[in-house]
Amino acid sequence: MISQEELRAIFIEEATEIVEKLDVDIIRFEENSNDFELLNEIFRGVHTLKGNSNAFGFTRLGEFVHHFEDLLDYYRSTKERIEANNLELFVESVDVVKEVMECELNSIKELPRSYSVCLEKIKKLLDAKKNKNPSLIQSESREVLNNLALEFDELPLFPDEDTLEQSIKIHQAMQTEALNLYKIVLTLDGDCYKRGFDHFIFLKILGEQAKSLESFFSMKNVQTIEDFQSTQNSIDKVDIVALTPLVYGEVEEIFEFLFDHEYKITPIQAPPPPQKETEKEAETLFKSASNNNTEIVSNTNINAPKSTIRIDTYKVDELFDSVGELVIAQNFIAQNREIRSIENETINRTIEVLSKITKKIQDRVMSLRMVAIKDTFEKMKRVVRDTSKKTGKEIHLIIQGEDTEIDKTMIDSLSDPLIHIIRNAIDHGLESCGDERVSIGKSAEGTLTLRAFHKSGNIVISVSDDGRGINKERVFKKAIERGIVNEGENLTDSQIFALIMQPGFSTAEAISDLSGRGVGLDVVKTSIEKLRGKIEIESKEGEGTTFSIILPLTLAIIDGMLVQVGNETYIIPTLCVVESFRPEKEIVHIVKGKGEFVTLRKECIPIVRLSEVFNLDIAKSEPWENILVCVETDSGRIAIMIDELLGRQQVVIKTLGKSLSKVKEISGGAILGNGDIALILNVDALRPQSETSHVRD
Amino acid sequence: MKIDGDVLTIDLNLSMDEIVTLEEFIRPRIEYIERIETEDGSVLSSSALLSLLVSIKKTRPQIEIPFLEKEQTISFSYGTVHWTYHD
Repeated sequence: MISQEELRAIFIEEATEIVEKLDVDIIRFEENSNDFELLNEIFRGVHTLKGNSNAFGFTRLGEFVHHFEDLLDYYRSTKERIEANNLELFVESVDVVKEVMECELNSIKELPRSYSVCLEKIKKLLDAKKNKNPSLIQSESREVLNNLALEFDELPLFPDEDTLEQSIKIHQAMQTEALNLYKIVLTLDGDCYKRGFDHFIFLKILGEQAKSLESFFSMKNVQTIEDFQSTQNSIDKVDIVALTPLVYGEVEEIFEFLFDHEYKITPIQAPPPPQKETEKEAETLFKSASNNNTEIVSNTNINAPKSTIRIDTYKVDELFDSVGELVIAQNFIAQNREIRSIENETINRTIEVLSKITKKIQDRVMSLRMVAIKDTFEKMKRVVRDTSKKTGKEIHLIIQGEDTEIDKTMIDSLSDPLIHIIRNAIDHGLESCGDERVSIGKSAEGTLTLRAFHKSGNIVISVSDDGRGINKERVFKKAIERGIVNEGENLTDSQIFALIMQPGFSTAEAISDLSGRGVGLDVVKTSIEKLRGKIEIESKEGEGTTFSIILPLTLAIIDGMLVQVGNETYIIPTLCVVESFRPEKEIVHIVKGKGEFVTLRKECIPIVRLSEVFNLDIAKSEPWENILVCVETDSGRIAIMIDELLGRQQVVIKTLGKSLSKVKEISGGAILGNGDIALILNVDALRPQSETSHVRD
Repeated sequence: MKIDGDVLTIDLNLSMDEIVTLEEFIRPRIEYIERIETEDGSVLSSSALLSLLVSIKKTRPQIEIPFLEKEQTISFSYGTVHWTYHD
C-alpha cells in the first residue's frame, strides 16, 4: 500500500500534469472553439482535478474547478457557440486554477484576488445561461454525470456497476504474474456489528498485503435518522477490488468467520492478449488508473502490449552515474596495454562483446532521460497568444520538429529562456503594426517559427521571426555608448549580434513589461550556458532574426577533443571547436602589449598558450612548431596552442572539488580510458584579458 | 467530538460505542447543526460511522458535511473507498 505522503506526491504530479495540459488545450481550443472533442478533453481534465482536489482536502481548488466544470459542461452539452469574451474567461479560469493550486500546495491562506473575481464571473455566466435554458438545471442529475464520465472513459462521480467494471479493467491492466486480482462482494447481515464485524476490518486486513485496494459502498438502504440505528448495519452491499499477491485460499481465510451468504470472492483473470488496436486503450486505462490515485505498479505482464512506469528521476540519475562508471571501466579494459597484449581470442572477443553491450546500455539509459520537446513547444503557444494580445500584433506561429527528444533536465530549464526569446522576438523583432509590414510588402500577420532539430550531435532549438531584423550599426553604436566595446573594434556580424546578450544592453526605445529592460537576454544566455549550451544569432535587416539555442544531447556526457600539452591531457568540448591546424610562420604575428595572433582567412585570432594558462613547466616553443585549435568563445574566436591532438572521445563529466572549482579556466574533469584524469577546458575563460575589452565579467 | 455554535467537529476514527454516543448526541440536535467537520488527519475506520453520516445527510440535506460530500476517501490502511449518499 502506498503512504499518504506518496499519495500526495502522486496528486501533485498528476494535478501539475493536468494543469499543464489545460494550459495548452485551452489555447488550442481558443484557436478552434468549434472543436467540441477538445472541449470534452478539457472538461475531463477539470473533472479529474476536481475529484482529486476534494479527495485531498484542497477544497478551495475543488470549489473553483467545480464551477468551472459546470460552465464547461454547459457548453459541451448544448454545443452552443462560445462568445469571444467567454473564451477569454476560460483562459482566465485556467490561470486561476494554476494560482490556486500554488496556494493549496504551499498552504497559503490568502487566495489571489482573481479567484473570487473569476469565480463570480463564472457563476454569473452560468446563471445567465441556465435562465435562458431552464431545462438544463434538471439535467445535472446523477445519470448525466455518470454518462459524462463513461463518455470520458473514467470513473464517474457516483459509483455504480459501470464504475466497478472500470475499476476492474484498470486493475486488470496492472496485473502481473505475482499479483492476483479479486472482486469481493460483502453483503453483511444487519447484526454484523454486534458480531464484531465491520466492513472496514476486512478492508484493513486485505490492505495489509494488497498492492491496490478499491471499494464501493452502496448506501441506498441507509435510513433517515428517525429509523436509523448505528448498531444495525444498513449497507446492503460493498464491492471490493483487490490486487494482491495472496492466492484464493488465503483471501478466503480472511472471511472465514462470516456466513457463506455474506461474501463472494471472484478471481479475475488477466485480460486476453491484446491486439495492436487496443494499445491506445491500455494506455488510457493506465492514465485512468493514475487519475484515480491508484498506485501504478511495474507491469511485467507479458499480455500487456505497452506499459509505463513512474520512476523517481533520482533513481534514473543514479543509474546514469553507474553507467558512466561502467563506460570508464570498459574504456580502461579496452585501452589497457597489458590486457590488449594478451593473445587469447576468447578474451579479445569477450572484450569486444563487453564494449558493444556497454555502448548499448549507455544508449538505452541515455534514452530514459530523453523526452520529446512537444510539451514545451505547446506551452509556448500560450506565450505567443498572450504576447500577441498584449502588443496588439497578429502572429502566425509555426512549430516544427516537436518530436525531437531532449534531456529531461534540460527541458525543465529551457522554458524560461524560450519564453524570453519569444517575447523579445514579438516585442522587438516584429514590426510595430500590420500596416507597417504591409507597407514594406510583407503580410500583415507576423510569422514566428519554433523549430527543434539535431545537428552535428547537438540539439538545436531555434526561434525565428520575419520581422525587422537587427540593425547592426545601431547595436554597435549602442554598445560603444554603454562601454561594452571600444570604438574602432573590428567585430564580425555574429559578434555584433552577440552584443545584445551582454548585461545592461538594450536598444528598445521604450521599455515595456514584456522585454526591453536589458536584463533579459543576458540571463537567457547564462541559463543556456549552465546547460553547457550556447546561443547563436543570425539576422538580416528587413527579413528577420533567428535565435538558435544549441544544446548537448545530455548533461552527463560530453563529446570532447583530447589534446596534450607537455605531460598533461586536456579536453576541449567539440561543440566549440571550429578547426585545428599547424600554422605557417608567416601568419603568426606579435602585437606589442597584446600578445600573439594568427591570421586565419583574414581574421586575426589571439593565440592562447595552455602551458602559460596552467603554469606548466615545459620549454617554450613557437606556434608554427605546434598545433592550434581554433575555438568559438563568447567574445570571438581564439586559437589554443597544444602539442598534440589525441583524438575525439565521449567522456563522463566529473565535478571538481571545491578548490579546483574556483579555477575559472576549467569546467570539470573526466577519467580517461587509461585511468588518467583530464581537465575539461572552459574556453570562454581562456581569452587573454587584453582581448576581452567588450566582455564584462 | 467538539461543538462550536452550530458546527460539530468529530474524529473519524471512532469505536462502536463512540459512534452510538455520537448518534445519541446528534439525534435531538439535528435541526440545530449546520455543519459537521472532521478532525485533521483522522481516518474513517468504520462503516457504521459512514452510515451515520449518510443518515444525517439524508435527514437534513442542508447540513454541510464536506468529508461525506467528497464521496471518496483514500488512506494507507483501507485503500480508496467510494460511496454515494444520494438515493
